Amino acid sequence: MNIIGLSLGIAVFVFIYLYVQSEFRYDRHWKDYDKIYRITTEYNLNDQSEFVALTPFLLADRIEKNLAGVDNATKIFFSDPSDVNDMSTLIYNDEVFEVPDITLGDSNVFRIFDFDFVEGDYFSSLSKANSIVISTEVSKMIFGDEKALGKKLKTHIREYTITGVFEKKSRPSHLFFDAIVSINSLPEEDTKIIGSDWFWMSCYTYVKLKSGRQKKDFQFELNEYTNDQIRKYVEQEELSIKGYSNFSLEEIYDVHFNTSLLYDNPENIDKLYLFVFAIIAGFILLTASINYVNLATARSLKRAKEIGVFKVLGARKRQLSLQYISESLILTTLAFILALSLVELLMPQFNILVGKDLTLIGSLFSKDGIVFGLLLVIMILVLSVISGIFPAFVLSYLQPANVLKGNKLFISKEGKARFTTAGLRKLLVTIQYIVAIGMIISTIIMYEQMMFLKKQDLGFDSRNVMVINMPQDTSFSERAHEFIDKLADNDSIEMLSVAGNLPGYTSGRMMYYTSDSTNIQSLNFFIVGSNFFKLLGIPLLEGGSFSEDEGHAKERKYIVNRAAADTLGDDKIIGSILHSTTGSSGKIIGVVGNFRFSSLYKGVEPLVIMFSDKRARYVLLKIRENSRATVIAHITKVWNKYNSAQYLHYTFLDQKLESLYKGDYKMLSLFTYFSLFVIFISSLGLYGLSSFLIEQRTKELGIRKVLGGSANNILMLLARDYLKLVALAGIIASPIVYVLLGKWLDMFALSIKMRFWEFAAGILLVMLIAFITVFIRARKVMHEKPSKSLYFE
Amino acid sequence: MIATNGLTKVFRAEGVETVALKEVSFRVEKGDFIAIMGPSGCGKTTLLNLLGLIDDATSGKYFFFGQDVYSLSEKQQTLLRKLNIGYVFQNFNLIDDLTVWENIELPLIYLGWKRKARSQRVAEVISSMELDYRKKLFPAQLSGGQQQRVAVARAVVAKPPLILADEPTGNLDSLHGEEVMNILGRLNNEGTTIVMVTHSQSDAAYSHKIVHLFDGQIINENITKGV
Repeated sequence: MNIIGLSLGIAVFVFIYLYVQSEFRYDRHWKDYDKIYRITTEYNLNDQSEFVALTPFLLADRIEKNLAGVDNATKIFFSDPSDVNDMSTLIYNDEVFEVPDITLGDSNVFRIFDFDFVEGDYFSSLSKANSIVISTEVSKMIFGDEKALGKKLKTHIREYTITGVFEKKSRPSHLFFDAIVSINSLPEEDTKIIGSDWFWMSCYTYVKLKSGRQKKDFQFELNEYTNDQIRKYVEQEELSIKGYSNFSLEEIYDVHFNTSLLYDNPENIDKLYLFVFAIIAGFILLTASINYVNLATARSLKRAKEIGVFKVLGARKRQLSLQYISESLILTTLAFILALSLVELLMPQFNILVGKDLTLIGSLFSKDGIVFGLLLVIMILVLSVISGIFPAFVLSYLQPANVLKGNKLFISKEGKARFTTAGLRKLLVTIQYIVAIGMIISTIIMYEQMMFLKKQDLGFDSRNVMVINMPQDTSFSERAHEFIDKLADNDSIEMLSVAGNLPGYTSGRMMYYTSDSTNIQSLNFFIVGSNFFKLLGIPLLEGGSFSEDEGHAKERKYIVNRAAADTLGDDKIIGSILHSTTGSSGKIIGVVGNFRFSSLYKGVEPLVIMFSDKRARYVLLKIRENSRATVIAHITKVWNKYNSAQYLHYTFLDQKLESLYKGDYKMLSLFTYFSLFVIFISSLGLYGLSSFLIEQRTKELGIRKVLGGSANNILMLLARDYLKLVALAGIIASPIVYVLLGKWLDMFALSIKMRFWEFAAGILLVMLIAFITVFIRARKVMHEKPSKSLYFE
Repeated sequence: MIATNGLTKVFRAEGVETVALKEVSFRVEKGDFIAIMGPSGCGKTTLLNLLGLIDDATSGKYFFFGQDVYSLSEKQQTLLRKLNIGYVFQNFNLIDDLTVWENIELPLIYLGWKRKARSQRVAEVISSMELDYRKKLFPAQLSGGQQQRVAVARAVVAKPPLILADEPTGNLDSLHGEEVMNILGRLNNEGTTIVMVTHSQSDAAYSHKIVHLFDGQIINENITKGV
């Protein structure tokens, strides 16, 4: 049992180690990675700052041309990371292929990021318009073993020539794309507006500095330059903006740990989580080792007599020490072999849990595999020595006569020696329980918070709402009306609406101001079709809604949410004119309730909603209860009739909303598994400790029975001490959890208040488990006839 | 008070069977003081353990106040033991971590006595055993004779009708041994039944009847006068 306990501990340690290590390997494999930075933006309007991962389109070009010490600068568009269902379509010889992530980038992308090119060359691949560079995976999918270079691929918009095939790095990066199109393929009229606007945050900018160029200096010069440019731009455009933009450089390898920016990769993870996991891993290893040593030394007491006999027969101290340490080395090595086999065996399940593709062999033979291997060897040696040293030195240094006399060797000489070892063991068990209780309480609170989010009134009804991705091809717009009419023609579909934006999907932002105000505000905007509010049950608070034939209206109209109405600050919001800095304007005709259009990490922000059935990206269907199968069959039929050249993608709004908290659910499940394991391993420790103490108290227990102690009296006597330890551990763990979890809960705009019962439940649960553990060990002693223990030697 | 019928105890260890007691039948009446004697390994302690419900017989019957003991559950046996039997061991078997007072108090706690009644009774017994000045000491701080007095005090504190003593003077010098035997004699005079295992003829002289055991069987029973 001892070896199994240690093996499990090591196995879990290795799992967490590999996971944490893989997170820290993000973007460290690029050549000169320490010179590559991503530029992020703080833009402040009316004293309100927003931090975004996006930058103005023109930034990369301007940096390269106007600032010293820049090796290269590049801009990349990513497909909206939150729209997981947005698959892009590539057509080759009339055959349709789906590629998850197609992005746009300029010719410098591959000059900064050294992808390995299988075909074509990195230097010129994205220089010309209508070029596309694809990954080897995409190449294999479309062309099999044929060469891809020079072949033509079509999208629904235009035709591209393949100018390169790159190998996707097996190492993790926040940059993910399967194909990249040259940015100068965009029509000039599109890039003209976007390319001159300092306030339109549209793409990600990366910069590689020359050797010796300091980040701090560069950042200072960058802001000096951009402030000057922005001032000129504001004057030139006659904008009345009160605010500023501030650009920051962040190391490429830190991007993965930044969770504070808008429009950033949702896969990013806070380092805090990783530190917590690292601590848990270290703790699990420590606990498993303590338990192993505890049990090994407890067992070695039984060998005291054996040592005495060896000594009488003339064995030397050194011989005895060597014997016990080598025995321990063999056992420990065995535990490690078992642990690593277990890791290899359970790796697929673990990969599913953490959403990664880790391999044990891969880690051992990687660049930093040597560290990992060395760590394992050191662990084996340290554990062998510690667990072997007790019998080797302590016992073999005893006088043979003392040992042979009997089992009282620990109170015979020093009188208090037994107390100290027991005290130390108790301390170790208490530490284990502090962590175990802390984790259980944390899991309970995290679970409560996630359930709380799930039950939140979102301000709209997401039940039975199906979302279909609209085909983005230009020729489709002619068929769109007919397609939508046919879609609606089914008894199971209660209502239908198109929309350019949906709750849970990233919304855009634009600058707005009302006629009688000089304040420009950066507000979220949604594009919706008619029926949108009705379909989602969003209440209209003031004014009117978009009409059925809004598409034919001459004037643009806006509806705003309550928060926007408050921000714009007009007493008579209905009827006032709203202008955007892009030049369009319209009348505000209504105010709707504050529905939660983004994640619950944020409070409800001001939102401007405009009507457009032409810029629709989604079709929303409100379907009848329990009619999913019928509806899916119906829409598949309609889709295939109108869009046979594309795949149908649909999702359900409630599922989509839940996926916003995928990261949190992942953490919750990791926490649950780890806390269960910590409980298990602490129980093993307690089992070991109680074994040790029960063995030491065997005779006492016999005496107590003779004096009338019942089985229950004996159990309570044994359990009482441990329950006290667990309660003490609970008292220590609670305030720590309160502070740490308080910080976690602060990340949410809506969060629960930690309650007493969550702490009490965690402590009681662990107490119960501790009680059961002692019970299992004590059961035999409890029911034994006292003669067995009275004459126990 | 006690009757055994064909009581047999066989120990099995690693496939070897040792017959410790062979069909032992004997009686103890209320107020008796019986000494069990015999050479080492003849089964004296085994017999005492069976009488004290510290161990189970392999076969045979055991009646306590007419009650078939082996038909009782573990719980009922525990109850019978704590209400009726006090035990004195050769090596005292005091609990090292408890004081003299706490050791003596323990049986009363298991009997569920209230604190006040317990204090009163423990004080009474401590005083009668002349242990007043040592009640706060731990066993390791006492002499052998004092430890055995504590053990006797613990055996009698709940006023059990039967005391089983396993070589109570075996670890004591003659002076302290006599002291302990006097206490046992006094208890017997006050009505407590005593069954005692001993090697010592002088200790046996305190008894009313000597039962001789040999190879797990009773070979004869002598009536003595008692002191």
